[in-house]
Amino acid sequence: MLRRKSGLGIATMMVAGVLLGALASGEVRAEAPAAEELMKQAHMNLYYAGDDGRAVVNMTLTDKRGKTRLRSFVMLRLDIEDGGEQKYFTYFTEPSDVRRTGFMVWKDPNEDDSRWIYIPALDLVKRISANDKGSSFVGSDFSYEDVSGRHWNDDTHILLREEEVDGQPYYVIESTPKKKDSFAKKITWIHKDRMLPEKEEYYDKKDRLERVFRAEEIQEIDGFQTVTLRSMTNIRKEHSTSVEFTNIEYNIGIEDGLFTERYLKAPPKKMIEN
Amino acid sequence: MKRLLVNLSINHPKLVIAATVLVTILFGLQMPKIIIDTDPENMLPEDEEVRIFHHEVKEVFGLHDMLVLGIVREDGAFNPETLGRVARITEQIRDIEGVIEYDIMAPTEVDDIYTTDEGVLRIETLMEEAPETQEEADRILVQIKKNPVLRGKLASDDGTTIAIFIPLESKEVALGVAREIEGIIEKETGNEEYHLAGIPIAEATFGDEMFRQMAVSAPMAFLLIFLLMLYFFRNAVIVIAPMIVALMSVVWTMGLLIGLGYTVHIMSSMIPIFLIPIAVLNSIHILSEFHHRYRKTHDMSTTIRETMDELFVPMIFTSMTTVVGFTSLILTPIPPVQVFGAFVAFGVASAWLLSVLFNTAYAALLSKKQLESFGAHEESGSTMHRAMTFIRDFSLRRNKLIVGVGAALLIVSVFGLFRIEANDNPVNWFKKAHPLRVADRVMNDHLAGTYIAYISIKAEEEGGLKDPAAMHYIESLQLHLNKLENVGATTAITDIVKKMREEMLGDPAEAVIPETRDEIAQFLFLYEMSGGDPDDLFKFITPEADRANLWVQMHKGENRAVAAVVEKSRAFMADNPPPGLTIGWAGLSYINVVWQQKMVSGMTKALAGSFVVVLFMMMFLFRSFWMGVLSMIPLTATIALVYGFIGFIGRPYDMPTAVLSSLTLGLSIDFAIHFLQRSREQYKASGSFRGAMEGMFRTPAQAITRNILVIAIGFVPMFFANLVPYITVGAFFFAIMLVSGFTTLFAFPALLSLMSPGLLAGRAQTDVATTSGHS
Repeated sequence: MLRRKSGLGIATMMVAGVLLGALASGEVRAEAPAAEELMKQAHMNLYYAGDDGRAVVNMTLTDKRGKTRLRSFVMLRLDIEDGGEQKYFTYFTEPSDVRRTGFMVWKDPNEDDSRWIYIPALDLVKRISANDKGSSFVGSDFSYEDVSGRHWNDDTHILLREEEVDGQPYYVIESTPKKKDSFAKKITWIHKDRMLPEKEEYYDKKDRLERVFRAEEIQEIDGFQTVTLRSMTNIRKEHSTSVEFTNIEYNIGIEDGLFTERYLKAPPKKMIEN
Repeated sequence: MKRLLVNLSINHPKLVIAATVLVTILFGLQMPKIIIDTDPENMLPEDEEVRIFHHEVKEVFGLHDMLVLGIVREDGAFNPETLGRVARITEQIRDIEGVIEYDIMAPTEVDDIYTTDEGVLRIETLMEEAPETQEEADRILVQIKKNPVLRGKLASDDGTTIAIFIPLESKEVALGVAREIEGIIEKETGNEEYHLAGIPIAEATFGDEMFRQMAVSAPMAFLLIFLLMLYFFRNAVIVIAPMIVALMSVVWTMGLLIGLGYTVHIMSSMIPIFLIPIAVLNSIHILSEFHHRYRKTHDMSTTIRETMDELFVPMIFTSMTTVVGFTSLILTPIPPVQVFGAFVAFGVASAWLLSVLFNTAYAALLSKKQLESFGAHEESGSTMHRAMTFIRDFSLRRNKLIVGVGAALLIVSVFGLFRIEANDNPVNWFKKAHPLRVADRVMNDHLAGTYIAYISIKAEEEGGLKDPAAMHYIESLQLHLNKLENVGATTAITDIVKKMREEMLGDPAEAVIPETRDEIAQFLFLYEMSGGDPDDLFKFITPEADRANLWVQMHKGENRAVAAVVEKSRAFMADNPPPGLTIGWAGLSYINVVWQQKMVSGMTKALAGSFVVVLFMMMFLFRSFWMGVLSMIPLTATIALVYGFIGFIGRPYDMPTAVLSSLTLGLSIDFAIHFLQRSREQYKASGSFRGAMEGMFRTPAQAITRNILVIAIGFVPMFFANLVPYITVGAFFFAIMLVSGFTTLFAFPALLSLMSPGLLAGRAQTDVATTSGHS
């Protein structure tokens, strides 16, 4: 606790120092593209590994009374264009009373997502829409954007500093939304070698820390650095979500034709096996 | 004991005065530690079951104390201009320190669920930004009315009122947040009216006002009483002594209360107001008697001793009975009332001690010159004297008439007593024109009700509430509640499930509880999945689906109105046993009902108990059963008449009214004690009933009359206080003094003349006065 506190103090001083230095020497202009390039790389590594991917996901939601709920689903992803459009398919297996619920997202970084949901009890597919990418993903502390990625173009980025945490080298980048958004500031720690965002802090406009993302476990799978356990803690609302990815596969040849209402109702068995 | 105290004061007056002043300073030093408490929850002990449950419900469902900002525009609030204001105001409220911005309920904050023309289900912010056209503005109202979670809360159906609900991090920030909101509103011009309400702001404002009343009402009564005493005794030097006694007993009591760490609640804030007259009562008797005797002897020491001989016993008894009356309040299970009772009792005892010690010590220090003008106007031809003679003759001659009229009044009062209705609503402690009362009225006229209670529903296991039987039961309970007069709206998880079903199937006829568990589970899941804030859902059901929270909005917060709803819900549950569910009420409105009920039964016990104790004390004092009974007449008459009157005019029996019954008891008996005890002495001195009455209607009756006038008039300024409980107390002092005082002066002579004069002679051989050393 104490260590963290003093660390934060030093971090704040460093941020101030970097900012002052940057202002004085006009380095902002020089560093900005570099920071954006780092964010783009990290984004690509985290969200666009391979051409497609499949994983069995166990999501644990912990509320402020410490009670937990488990959600399990199979998740499929197909990249239509690297860094651009993607399609996601989610098939729920737990809790048992929502088993077979299906969820499909067509993500277009430049527009609102298109989303469909399949309600097994009514045997009905419904298109749902939301204009807010910052809203909760299946009731978790992750937003849609956290799951499918926030485009680096939406924010301006500054490289605050480079630092070592627990012996690991990081770039520390501050991002500010270009338009009014669900957060006012984000600090990202990108691992220098793995080039993955391994910690993120989201601040509100009163500069209060609201949410913290952590890549808790990272493995190399099929040659890709893969975050297999990640968590998001909502500091203010005192709840958290941890997400574990298992049975991860890349480049399995998922076809575009899978992402249709028909398959949402009745997905091919091999795609949804645990 | 009497001799010890009197000798101490006469022989060492400076020591006594120095000691009392020192003690007063010590107690006075505690005063700055004062903590004001206006939380109505504290009417119940902290470990009271209903309070613990209330907190648990708040914790489980993430509920906060809220301010409500009402925006009213009579020609319709749903227009681009007003909605623009609402959006602007909300945006600024979000930034106020202490506001939980993510839980604000406002058009720009809440989610709405609907299906677009293309059949797409949308969950999005009701009003992302202020509309530009009237059509868009109208659409927002239509959406609110279609959404059972928002309807009647966010806006009135007629579209004239919009409400913003502002949750607070803690009650302590309420006043500060309210000030900032007022600042935000001030910048807006236009035809809108703004009303700020909510229990936290009411509490905080009440605390503020209470402090002000305490600083104004008590000193004002004090000053007026001083002036009246000055008028009667014509000597400032002498009249100052009882005023110092009153002040000291107030400082002792409040100092002790604060020093012991008790908070100052509405009742204890009135302790000074209670103590001043009680302290002055004794002193007026002392002064009257002292003055009467001093004119005969012109010797200070003798005068003091004689006065004390005459008054010591009645004063002990009048003080003890008052102590009994207030101590009995400990029998009510309401902590602030218990604290109030205990400390007033302490104050009365202090006032007694001080009036014996300090008054005599002070008198012993006076020079002859300072006493010269003392009471110069008390000649036999004075108005006072003539009035006393008139009362005496009238009540003796018209004894049967007086007793008859009195009995008739008593009987009529009893009918009034039966019409008394226990009822309280802390908002009504403000006067009708107070902005908070106005806000309360306006919002409850337009919206579904600002008085919120919760019905907590527990299933036996996790997921139990996804059972269609449980959902159907909650729905039937809601339907039953919605029919009740005071209920403006109920909101529960059932409404969300039905709304989801309606939107999924695109047909209002499909807004029914699903018949399978899976379907219910999937709708709840869908709500979480489709982008709404999951925490909104969890205000109605736990994530584990083992507990649900049914919101009941009521228009009236009076205990009776709320209690009626509670009772009817219980009757419903008794007729229709819930399927494996445990159901209980929570919420501040419900807590108010609980303490009110406890108070009524507690007060009845306290009053009955102290009545019996006082009766026994009187029998002991007079060594006579019938004298004991007789002495209870003014007290009984006062309680019956005052409370009968309250019953007839339909004034609710609220907390202050209830607590005042012990004051009534404690004060009303005083006159009777003085009258009977001293009539007896006069009877012994003169040997005849006629002689006793003649003696009685000289000094003692004059003292009683002075008491009536000083205290009744002294409290008139309180009629104009800002807080209703203060007005109530002022009115009570006025009524108690008049009724018990005049009952004593008129009814006693009448009754005594109709009964056997032997009563006054005292059949018991040992007279109390004799044993107390009277020669």
